[in-house]
Amino acid sequence: MMTAMTIRARSRTREVFIRLSAYLTIFVALVFTLFPIYWIAANSFKFDIDIFAVPPEWLPWHPTLKHYDEAFIQRPFLRYALNSFLVAMGTTAVSLVFGTMAGYALARFSYPWQWRKQISFWILSTRMMPPIVSIIPLYLFFNYFDMLNTKSALIVAYTAFNLPFATWMMKSYFQDLPVELEEAAIVDGDTRWGAFLHVALPLARPGLAATAIFCLIISWNEFLLSLIITLTEQAQTLPIGIAGRVTQYKTYWGEISAAGFMACVPIVIFAFIVQKHLVRGLSLGAVKG
Amino acid sequence: MFTSANAPLTAPVRPGGTLERWAERHLRILMLAPTMLILLGLTIFPSIYMFYAAVHKISPNPDVPWDFVGPGNFLRLLSDQQFHVALLNTSVFTVSAVTAEFLLGLGLALLLDKYVRRLTFLKTVLMIPMMLPPIAVAITWKIIYEPQFGVLNEIMFRLGLPAQAWAGDASLAMFSIIVADVWQWTPFMFLLMLAGLASLPVEPYEAAELDGASSWRQFWDLTVPFLKPVIAIALLLRVMDALRLFDLVFILTGGGPADRTKVLSLYIYQVAYRFADIGYAAAISLFVLFVTIVLSTWFMKRMRLAE
Repeated sequence: MMTAMTIRARSRTREVFIRLSAYLTIFVALVFTLFPIYWIAANSFKFDIDIFAVPPEWLPWHPTLKHYDEAFIQRPFLRYALNSFLVAMGTTAVSLVFGTMAGYALARFSYPWQWRKQISFWILSTRMMPPIVSIIPLYLFFNYFDMLNTKSALIVAYTAFNLPFATWMMKSYFQDLPVELEEAAIVDGDTRWGAFLHVALPLARPGLAATAIFCLIISWNEFLLSLIITLTEQAQTLPIGIAGRVTQYKTYWGEISAAGFMACVPIVIFAFIVQKHLVRGLSLGAVKG
Repeated sequence: MFTSANAPLTAPVRPGGTLERWAERHLRILMLAPTMLILLGLTIFPSIYMFYAAVHKISPNPDVPWDFVGPGNFLRLLSDQQFHVALLNTSVFTVSAVTAEFLLGLGLALLLDKYVRRLTFLKTVLMIPMMLPPIAVAITWKIIYEPQFGVLNEIMFRLGLPAQAWAGDASLAMFSIIVADVWQWTPFMFLLMLAGLASLPVEPYEAAELDGASSWRQFWDLTVPFLKPVIAIALLLRVMDALRLFDLVFILTGGGPADRTKVLSLYIYQVAYRFADIGYAAAISLFVLFVTIVLSTWFMKRMRLAE
């Protein structure tokens, strides 16, 4: 009786210890995760003199919108943001329309030989291709067709990695839908295409929304292809605008903090909208969270 | 997987226009064709074209015709020291960053699984870094690493440690890049490992508990084998991303100091756009493409074996 109680007491101590260390770890992880984001936000609201202060100003005691004015009013960051937005919308629309159809085909139809599997893996492997690899031929191609420094060139280039992503995501969502509903629609006189359009597509709406948001995020964040394809504010995207203010001679800390923080805000909002789909989105539909 | 998803599902042919009936009959091809054609144009065609470019010497002047040099650009890979440095840097970065992210992510997931499972809000907050634009992440760490007024040196000072140049120091530059990458991508590993843990079956653990197996044994004999497919996917995606590292290096170090952080993507960029040597840049790109294909096929094969 005595020993049983001691053992129970001891395992309780152990449990409390594990619980405490878990909470401590969560706290440390939260600080480590959030501090850099807080820091860029705080710096964007400081006067230059406070950005350069040693020791640092941990809180923006003298808040100012000076750098937001510099970036978004005096310099064309609003234009960059608009370009980013338009390119993201364009590539998302293209990827979603074709990716949904292809994803549905790969989830539902049968193909001779092993084509279904082969094509699926081929599409996945195009997603693995590093952008630097395709950039040289794309650059020569856009140059030939006089498309350099246009938003349409960016939409074309971004489709190269958003389309395989959308295809795999939608394939995984369609595979989760019971096929019987479409069968019933066909029995009721709908065509095969109608069953897709009127039955499967509405049911896959949450998946469509999540896929669209992921496509928007991926294009919004892209840097390398835009760096090479765009030259002026006509087509340059937000990341290019930010990188342009880090020069060999001077870094405009306040401006890049303001623009950088503003580039993050929509992403954080999106992250909360798609939180349920994060695992699936990040693993290209392979892991269903 | 759903077996029913594989079953052929056809609608009887109904009256309608010839075109409609034709489209209905070939639907499985018509729905797939646009995607395949676009991807052929955007990935296969560029790869072939790049092979064509790689066997030429290409002048930056568009009026000068391309000069056929055969395997010359590929042979240069063997003797080009800069390329070897870039290859080494990319390997060091990929192995260290992905290993650190994986071990941290798995450790955190094992420790915190029970505590965060229902705290969706907290989980999402922890996931924010990996969603952010890499350029924003890069400038954030640039401000933190800044040698004169950066916050990191302030922390070093408070701890009684000497100030460092971080990204500007030859021996710390790669480490600084890895830390920023670990900050951004550990959440990815953590999230996928949590998803893996959440999908573990309960029964084998109950049986092991009855048999008196220690938690260490349970971890190696049950958790690891069950997690294997998720681990494989997570590693594959992270390795592919690490191989293409560009943004962080471009902003934080520009490849320096003394080429210590010059990675393959950055080197290709420099060869193509600073030295305007497109033919040679194409040859290096093909090498990277080859490595990517070999690695991803190997991973995907293993992944399927694990399932």
